[in-house]
Amino acid sequence: MAQEQTMVTVKIDGQELQFPAGTLLFDACREARGEALPHFCYHPDLPVAGVCRLCQVEVEGMPKLTIACNTTVRDGMVVHTRSERVRKASQQILEMHLINHPVDCPICDQAGECGLQDQYMNYGLYESEVEKRDKVHKAKAQVIGPHVILDKERCVLCSRCVRFCDTVTGTSELGIFQRGDRAEIGIAPGKELSNAYSLNTVDICPVGALTSRDFRFKKRVWLLKSTRTVCHGCATGCSVRVDHEGDRIYRLKPELNREVNGPWMCDQGRLTYRSVHSEKRLAAPLLRRDGGQVEVPWAEALAAVKEAGAPGAWIASPQQTLEELALFAALAGDAPRSGGVSTAGRGEGDAILIDADKTPNRAALDWTGLPQHDAGALIGLIKGTKGAVLVYGGDPAAEAEGFLAAVGGRPLIYLGTHRNATSEAAAVVLPVSAWAERDGLLVNRQGRVQASRRAVARPEQAREDWRLLADWLRESGAEDAPAGLPALRRWVAERVPAVSGLDLNALPAAGAVPAGAASGAGGER
Amino acid sequence: MSHEQYKILSKRFGRRDAHKLAVYEAEGGYAALRKALQQGREKVIEEVKEAGLRGRGGAGFPTGVKWGFVPKDAETVYFMVNADESEPGTFKDRFLMDYDPHLVLEGSIISSYAVRASLCVIYIRGEFGWLIDRMQAAVDEAYAKGYLGKDILGSGYDLQVIVHKGAGAYICGEETGLINSVTGRKGQPSIKPPFPAVQGFLDKPTVVNNVESVAAVPHIVTNGAAEYRKFGTEKSAGTKLFSVSGPVRNPGVHEIPLGLPFKEFFHDWLGGMADGEKLKAVIVGGSSVPVLTADEAMGIDLDYESCGAAGTMLGSGGMIIIPERCDMVELIQVLMHFYWDESCGQCTPCREGTGWLHKLVRKLRRGEGTAEDLALIEKVCEGMAGLTICPLSDAAVMPMRSFLQKFRSEFEALVAGEDQDGPQTRWAREYRS
Repeated sequence: MAQEQTMVTVKIDGQELQFPAGTLLFDACREARGEALPHFCYHPDLPVAGVCRLCQVEVEGMPKLTIACNTTVRDGMVVHTRSERVRKASQQILEMHLINHPVDCPICDQAGECGLQDQYMNYGLYESEVEKRDKVHKAKAQVIGPHVILDKERCVLCSRCVRFCDTVTGTSELGIFQRGDRAEIGIAPGKELSNAYSLNTVDICPVGALTSRDFRFKKRVWLLKSTRTVCHGCATGCSVRVDHEGDRIYRLKPELNREVNGPWMCDQGRLTYRSVHSEKRLAAPLLRRDGGQVEVPWAEALAAVKEAGAPGAWIASPQQTLEELALFAALAGDAPRSGGVSTAGRGEGDAILIDADKTPNRAALDWTGLPQHDAGALIGLIKGTKGAVLVYGGDPAAEAEGFLAAVGGRPLIYLGTHRNATSEAAAVVLPVSAWAERDGLLVNRQGRVQASRRAVARPEQAREDWRLLADWLRESGAEDAPAGLPALRRWVAERVPAVSGLDLNALPAAGAVPAGAASGAGGER
Repeated sequence: MSHEQYKILSKRFGRRDAHKLAVYEAEGGYAALRKALQQGREKVIEEVKEAGLRGRGGAGFPTGVKWGFVPKDAETVYFMVNADESEPGTFKDRFLMDYDPHLVLEGSIISSYAVRASLCVIYIRGEFGWLIDRMQAAVDEAYAKGYLGKDILGSGYDLQVIVHKGAGAYICGEETGLINSVTGRKGQPSIKPPFPAVQGFLDKPTVVNNVESVAAVPHIVTNGAAEYRKFGTEKSAGTKLFSVSGPVRNPGVHEIPLGLPFKEFFHDWLGGMADGEKLKAVIVGGSSVPVLTADEAMGIDLDYESCGAAGTMLGSGGMIIIPERCDMVELIQVLMHFYWDESCGQCTPCREGTGWLHKLVRKLRRGEGTAEDLALIEKVCEGMAGLTICPLSDAAVMPMRSFLQKFRSEFEALVAGEDQDGPQTRWAREYRS
């Protein structure tokens, strides 16, 4: 990296700029113009196709207009992107894109975030001269996989989805069949678009040809608010965007993070938002009474916790944030504690993004002194203690055989978000916030610390985890129990040596790997 | 016949058994290959450059220069013979392969040798079923005689030849489309760069030459560049095959010295129009080039420069003679149908534009057109010209624009509803709509 790159000077729209040799003219123009050239087929993470022909620019000395996406900058190049000739060509080519398009925006999910709509407003604004009856009609609403539906008529044949399946997943389910204006995206015989990343094709589709079966017809996109956060689906920690209206989440979309996920995310991760609105959410504190569980006010539940006495065993889970785990560890003090069942949350991974570790924050357990245990060791740990057993997240009753037997008649206190085997066996259940309802830091498999953000409000009766824990800490006599999120993060940085070198209140968007953390983090994969 | 002297490529045309190796050898066949292997490839390239041989597929790019684009340090190089002859009006390559497959093959072997290719693919359009058999038979004979395979004629040069059958797409005659088709991909052109001479078939340097181009190579090797330049002009050297269709007295394939005035070709070679026919227009070099009116045609010489100066192109030499009785709008409809059908569909302006033009012309022919539609045709052409990966889009625009410009009154007559259709045209209208 130390080697100095040759710089070339390019004049774009009268502006002289320097770029490293080999820079794509498309990118150079984006920098010079402050906005990308009109385009459909170009995508920085896919091979160049050069078929939409929209990014035409005028390069002095070349007789024809040229596409910027397949041209590299040369020293002394003089480029015009806003000349009359370019403007006219863009408009004409855009019109070509639209002549056979059904313009069914009112019933199209893409409306509001559609390349055709945007480009038309930027470069089109002409009166259509094609006769409606002359349009080429193609198949609509074809289910091509478990998550994706295809409208061949809306397609502009940019081939992004084909190139994605050819080069990113290597599964090649899609192709362009037929030729001329009969050409259409189609699925290879005997296949379905069922790779683990299929919904990325919906993201990169510049129009409404590929839509998500999950999101389809649920919400107009302009009503959605977006919150950038981190996916909790596995240890990769992809940067994502939670799209929500009010407190309802409608979809997850990947956010560009060159250090982690590039522009992609997996289908599994994308659907994790459903758990937030699951029917199994714990809506109110519960107390075991007369052989069943009854909803009680928080005060009553907290009194029951106090009554149970200081817990003898403290069991956390990798579903909790770094801050929560640090508070939990501080609360546990010298009592035996665990980060939960080490064999839980394991599954299949791949070489693209999906990690075999299906938990978002296992690395932070080690950092906060909450080591995980296998089922036997965890049961041994419980049996070696007396008094209440406090479980924070996870489901050890399901994950470790004999867990409930080991707890026996001792009070079992559960802090969690969803009804499960552990919550159902608990004497006291305290509902807390799900992943999209709280702020917190996560440590991914690289040892990268990333900020997960609150996108939606938690259920009325659920508490914000860290405040509950900090309250307990204060009640236990700790004078330095933090009172606000920035204070909490400073408190964490002081307590957790692994992150002592980071300003946890000002992490870069891509997150940060603390010095020396990368190698040891994440444990086994 | 004095025209006999120009027969370099076509001397065996029409002769019984001309396609057999024995006949070819008896007339000096494969001597050029022997000479080329003895002289070395540098000399072959030099002679071909010196001869000024230009690509006969339509673009007219100097063949020797094209060979020179192959990187000198390339370890694997491929050579492909473009026998996907599908330009409407063009049927010269099929004559070469039909009557003189060994000439085509010998030229292919020498050309492959010149560019250091280890594999030569002869890509023949799928509709030419019998020519595929004929070329394959020639290849088999050549293998048996040691003109192909390992250590050709003791020179140490190895070459394999594969005869490959196309699947019936016009666009596979474009060299990158051809390479994609041979590779097993959808037959559609690739963006350039990279150019095939640097990164082509299987990502290795690949040279693609037209059948007629390679067929000229043995003559150049045997007789030298100076002899080849005996015919033709300074920039358009040698002879060229013209495949002539239309109501002239002598249609068919004619080999002429480049630079021959059209007027002379028309009268002396083609024998003028058939009885009762009157010349109206000429498409000089295949359906993709701008049409010329009879007057314009009479003023040109048949070489690259003169055709260019007249606003058209020599192209592939697929000459279509259009008689006065022909309805130009009907004719352009046939052509627009062709380009609409053959557009590979990857570049938007071509995919959508060819269809749009076809519909607009069809609308005119149905008598539903307006004056605005004529303006719209011009606008659509503008949005298609020079904006795509390959020239197919321009190939549709050039005839469309020139037909409309030069025979505008016929288009306007349709707009005004003054169409005076003959029975044939009326039938065609019913049939196509």
